[in-house]
Amino acid sequence: MIKIRDLEKIYRTEEVETVALNKISIDVKEGEFVAIMGPSGCGKSTLLNILGLLDDPDNGSFLFNNIEVAHFNERKRAELRKHNIGFVFQSFNLIDELTVFENVELPLIYTGVKSGERKKRVEEVLDKMQIMHRRNHYPQQLSGGQQQRVAVARAVVNNPKLILADEPTGNLDSSNGNEVMTLLTDLNEQGTTIIMVTHSEHDARYSHRIIRMLDGQTVLENIMV
Amino acid sequence: MIKHYIKVAFRNLAQQKVLTGINTFGLSVGIACFSLFLLYAVHEFSYDRFHTNADRIYRIVEWWQGEGREPGGAGGAYTPVAEAMKRDFPDVEYAVRLKGAGCLMKADNKVFHTSITYADTPFFHVFTFPLVYGSTRTALQHPNQVVVTKEKALQLYGTVNAVGRILQIKTDSAFEPYTISGVAENIPANSSVKFDLLCSFERIINHPEVQQSNKDWYMTIGMEAFVQLKPGSRLAYEQNRLDLFRKKYYPEDQRPRKKGRKAIKKEPEIQTSFRLQPIRDIHTNPQIEGGIDPKNIWLLITIAGAVLLIACINFTTLAIGRSAGRAKEIGVRKVMGSRRAQLIGQFLAESLLLSVASAITGLILAYTLLPLFNQLADRKLSFSPSRFPELPWLLMGLIILVALLAGSYPALVLSSFKPIEVLKQKIRVGGANLFTRSLVTLQFVLSIGLIISTIIILQQLSYIRSKNIGFNKENVVMINAEGIDSKKIYPLFKEAIQSHTGIVSVTASEMGLGSGEGQMGWGFTDYLGKVKGVIAYPGDYNFLNTMSMQLVAGRNFDPAIASDSMGAVIVNEAMVQQILGTTNEKSLGKQIKNAKGDAAPKTIIGVSRNFNFEDLTHTVRPQMFYRPAILQPSRIFVRLQAGDPRRQLALLDASWKKLVPDAPFEYHFLDEKFDNFYKNEKRWSAIAGWAGGISIFLACLGLFGLAALAAVNRTKEIGIRKVMGATVTNVVALLSKEFIKLIAIALVIASPLAWYVMHDWLQAYAWRINITWWVFAVTGLFALFVAVTTVSVQAVKAALSNPVKALRTE
Repeated sequence: MIKIRDLEKIYRTEEVETVALNKISIDVKEGEFVAIMGPSGCGKSTLLNILGLLDDPDNGSFLFNNIEVAHFNERKRAELRKHNIGFVFQSFNLIDELTVFENVELPLIYTGVKSGERKKRVEEVLDKMQIMHRRNHYPQQLSGGQQQRVAVARAVVNNPKLILADEPTGNLDSSNGNEVMTLLTDLNEQGTTIIMVTHSEHDARYSHRIIRMLDGQTVLENIMV
Repeated sequence: MIKHYIKVAFRNLAQQKVLTGINTFGLSVGIACFSLFLLYAVHEFSYDRFHTNADRIYRIVEWWQGEGREPGGAGGAYTPVAEAMKRDFPDVEYAVRLKGAGCLMKADNKVFHTSITYADTPFFHVFTFPLVYGSTRTALQHPNQVVVTKEKALQLYGTVNAVGRILQIKTDSAFEPYTISGVAENIPANSSVKFDLLCSFERIINHPEVQQSNKDWYMTIGMEAFVQLKPGSRLAYEQNRLDLFRKKYYPEDQRPRKKGRKAIKKEPEIQTSFRLQPIRDIHTNPQIEGGIDPKNIWLLITIAGAVLLIACINFTTLAIGRSAGRAKEIGVRKVMGSRRAQLIGQFLAESLLLSVASAITGLILAYTLLPLFNQLADRKLSFSPSRFPELPWLLMGLIILVALLAGSYPALVLSSFKPIEVLKQKIRVGGANLFTRSLVTLQFVLSIGLIISTIIILQQLSYIRSKNIGFNKENVVMINAEGIDSKKIYPLFKEAIQSHTGIVSVTASEMGLGSGEGQMGWGFTDYLGKVKGVIAYPGDYNFLNTMSMQLVAGRNFDPAIASDSMGAVIVNEAMVQQILGTTNEKSLGKQIKNAKGDAAPKTIIGVSRNFNFEDLTHTVRPQMFYRPAILQPSRIFVRLQAGDPRRQLALLDASWKKLVPDAPFEYHFLDEKFDNFYKNEKRWSAIAGWAGGISIFLACLGLFGLAALAAVNRTKEIGIRKVMGATVTNVVALLSKEFIKLIAIALVIASPLAWYVMHDWLQAYAWRINITWWVFAVTGLFALFVAVTTVSVQAVKAALSNPVKALRTE
């Protein structure tokens, strides 16, 4: 599904040049659950942003479903993104002004799904995530775990092929964190590819494979049994 | 999608109640202000368009131009000219003369002062004044018929259908019966041609004055003349044909100038011609007397636009200011697949929603304030789509314009954020960037400019009110003696009142003084051989004394000297200089003759100090006083002792009623009549004052919001500074410094601009103030004070908050 080769990303300021990704190459197959680990500043999030088509690399190749997307413009990236990728963030990133239902509905609005169909799909996914009873609440009225469940619901409502999760349990206590990890595992078992950045060895154990990074490069891969 | 936008917009606006309140209220005030001024402008530009044949109706005007003189004209027409045009030009379909006069009117035994207009019979063919009752074909057929307006009919009889009723009207010595032959719809407020009572011109055709003016092609009797041209005629633009016409009837115009020995000063040659002025041009052509300057209407629209702009700027700066809080939303939306155009659409929808809400509130506000505005503008305006069909479109356009103006910058800026950067909080938006700082400065430039202008207008007004205009206008009552047998009544009235305490002096004149009073002029040939107008005051012997006018040479009129009522005149200094070209002393004893040479020569017995009988935009023109052999005053002047005038007024009223029971006692205070010259200026100072006040209020409203945002955006900084030992004063200074700088810059920009505009405005006055530096200083300090107070409210709040709490929220 994902094939990156010699990918480079360099951040430049007037005085400093920081190499965030240094000729990194990774493959992810459809249906895999991959965790990316490494110390702060090793380039995990940069990699995730590029994989999520939120950012573009400076050099290298990025094949997404066999299409070269490394040099897609913003518009093309947005188009590909909204149909194929779901995001889960550490800080949830729910819109405070929208209710649970509306937050989850948002990706469907931007992909042009009809209102009746949207309602059906949102209700389905809320039900699955067991937050249906909170559908009319605003994010501030929910616990952290509940907020992340909404964020996961939002990420999957469009049936994306790929879910990118950036430290999805980072802001949660262990029981809420486990719940979210179970959700992700379930999704993966149903066929969704998941790439997750994490600091937690515990969470990483839910994955099939751990990619360890240091200074913008992969240093080790662990296959989980 | 649109439903989604509107829903989100509503929630966003509802969540930020204070900012939304500031925005909506500010925009409402701006829109209310602008729509009132827009209504005024639409009204002013709509004058006389309602006539069906408006594009073919022209007023005959006399036009002067020459070196050293601004070209200009007047609508007063000589009596025979209209008929001559009809005769000479086949293009002229109809010619109508209009002559207005004051009269007394008796209905149901009540007597009123009113005015009557005499018009040639094609009046209703030319002008579109529909009749509610009666027929336009027959309403002016007979000289004893009169058409009244609906308003007048209601006032007189309490019913609109007054056709057939008999009205007693007195223009000369006795009441005469007129039959009401028609009732016209009320005259629209935007009509240059107005009447209360309309009568056939035939009625006065045999009046000696009219007869004389019909023979004398130079004599004016306060008449206007209109022609309606046949379709397709270009006569109004074929000046050579009009010039030939002029030449035919005014061969004297072409007479060469006398080359006298006294021709010391070189006088420029003035050419006089007839022109046809389109009726729609009458109200807004300042070159022809009575027309207002459309520049002023545009100035008004500009002021209103400035106020609206300030309100729009508030919207923009506050929207940019709170963008910090919305960055995350934008980032998430982008990650979820929103395109930039969709985000722009969303923000514009928000500003459209706000501007529609503000427009509704603004229009309600404007509707409520309309009576007050009418008073201010001296107009009878109404939001009537039938009268101003363009108004709904203009207002709708205004709403969209406001939405775009206020919403487009935030929409463009916010939608351009890179999602990953805002989600990672790399972008620090909000607060004051260069753009918002420039907008705030612009707001204060406009507000400070308006306030400076207001102060200068008020200073000039106070100056002209207090200026010594050459006589004492205080404590003088001017009584209307029109329509009575005043040559008999005046001496009796004077006799009855003058010995009472509180009455200082009584005099009379055939002409009034002050705003709205007519002037009578004679043509005199000056020492260079050109005919010039001299304003004449036929008055009683003691006119100059009663008015406290001073003599600079010679003597006053003396009832004991018989020749003083035969041919003696007192002239003013301007006449001595401009007509006689000599000194005051040398002019005494000189005989002067009017240009036509049809009146007996007059001997100069005295020279009076110049007095400003016109408003102070004019210099004093040549003037003369004389005592006619038979004085038939139209105004009686009574000088009262200073103090409460009620007792004396009661005495005047009682004496008047005893002598003339069938005419109302109608009077004005002379100082008020002179104050009325400056009605326009008063109006302008009020308008500029209000606009200045509103704009500074709106600018401060915006500043209040910005300061609040600055405090929120800098919560962490303020917290850290307080932990490090900053005092409340330090924090207030920190937050205020930024804004004070902007106001200082605004003052520097606004001062020369305001100086330039007001200097130009003052040039219209022959007597004017000098603009002083302290006006700018006081305004600057005032703006600073208001701004600092506004900012401090927020700054103190921020400074007093608990730093621990501030740091925890980060």
